Amino acid sequence: MRARRAFDDVAVGDEAPVVRHVLTRTDLVAYAGASGDFNPMHHDEVLATAAGQPSVFGHGMFSMGLLGTAVTGWAGAGSLVRYSVRFRRQTWPGETLVTRVVAVGKREEGGRRLVDLDCSLANSDGEQKVVGSATVALD
Amino acid sequence: MAVDRSLIGRSTGLRRVVVERGPVAVFAEAVKDHDPVYQDADAAREAGFPSVPVPPTFPFVMAHWGALAELQPRGAGGQGETALLEVLAPLLRAGGLLLHGEQEFEYHSPIVVGDVLTGEGRVTDVYEKQAPGAAMTFVLTETTWRHDPGGEVAVVARSSALVRLPRAGS
Repeated sequence: MRARRAFDDVAVGDEAPVVRHVLTRTDLVAYAGASGDFNPMHHDEVLATAAGQPSVFGHGMFSMGLLGTAVTGWAGAGSLVRYSVRFRRQTWPGETLVTRVVAVGKREEGGRRLVDLDCSLANSDGEQKVVGSATVALD
Repeated sequence: MAVDRSLIGRSTGLRRVVVERGPVAVFAEAVKDHDPVYQDADAAREAGFPSVPVPPTFPFVMAHWGALAELQPRGAGGQGETALLEVLAPLLRAGGLLLHGEQEFEYHSPIVVGDVLTGEGRVTDVYEKQAPGAAMTFVLTETTWRHDPGGEVAVVARSSALVRLPRAGS
């Protein structure tokens, strides 16, 4: 089994396979348990609506995690050198979250073969939830 | 509510954690990562890892899972997120909404199950911004996780947390 994608097989403009996921309240509860983030805005509908939110909403770090899944699913586990995101909008149960990961540059630096990626997570209407960038070291 | 810029540079605590198998497997499933390297030690070895590796955002939750009491440096217990909470708690009590603004990880050396790491964080900036109808208070932190023993840097995590507090009358 190969851990990482081959540098020579990647061209600028290549896109990683899209990960598409319909966010559920169960996902929010599972992420709360897996992360220890029990901010009630993510699991307690009563408190969230009392606080003026339309419903519970997703953890930002769930979105970053889901987008990371798309990055390493393509580049290979353990390939990340840097991964950075900005959280733009809240995510809501019922939304379909769609990843986009695009190779925007290739370079060799310090003996490593690096690919720079633009990455983002949006809903099916194209509303950007998370935007960021990553660098992976490939074989 | 004016922000206290003297918090810049303050420690957010020192924590020693162990990376355990169960939390890594559960976390990978929670972020919909079904790569067998996170579930199956044989798959991890076949992919070239000495043991099960961790998903990219796992460093954010290492302290939640692995900061076992007996691992903590003497005299450092309980100081965890004091500086962060000092800024954010009064805003949350006043009805503010806590949000995550940005997150960055720099990966320097691999983290696998069985590793022990020490994380030390500090506040790198505190500032306030006015948005329509609300005041936003930002707190930026940076945490460096090092392999223990040895001190080799594993990952540097940078976070910005913000509290959005609606202004009275808006």
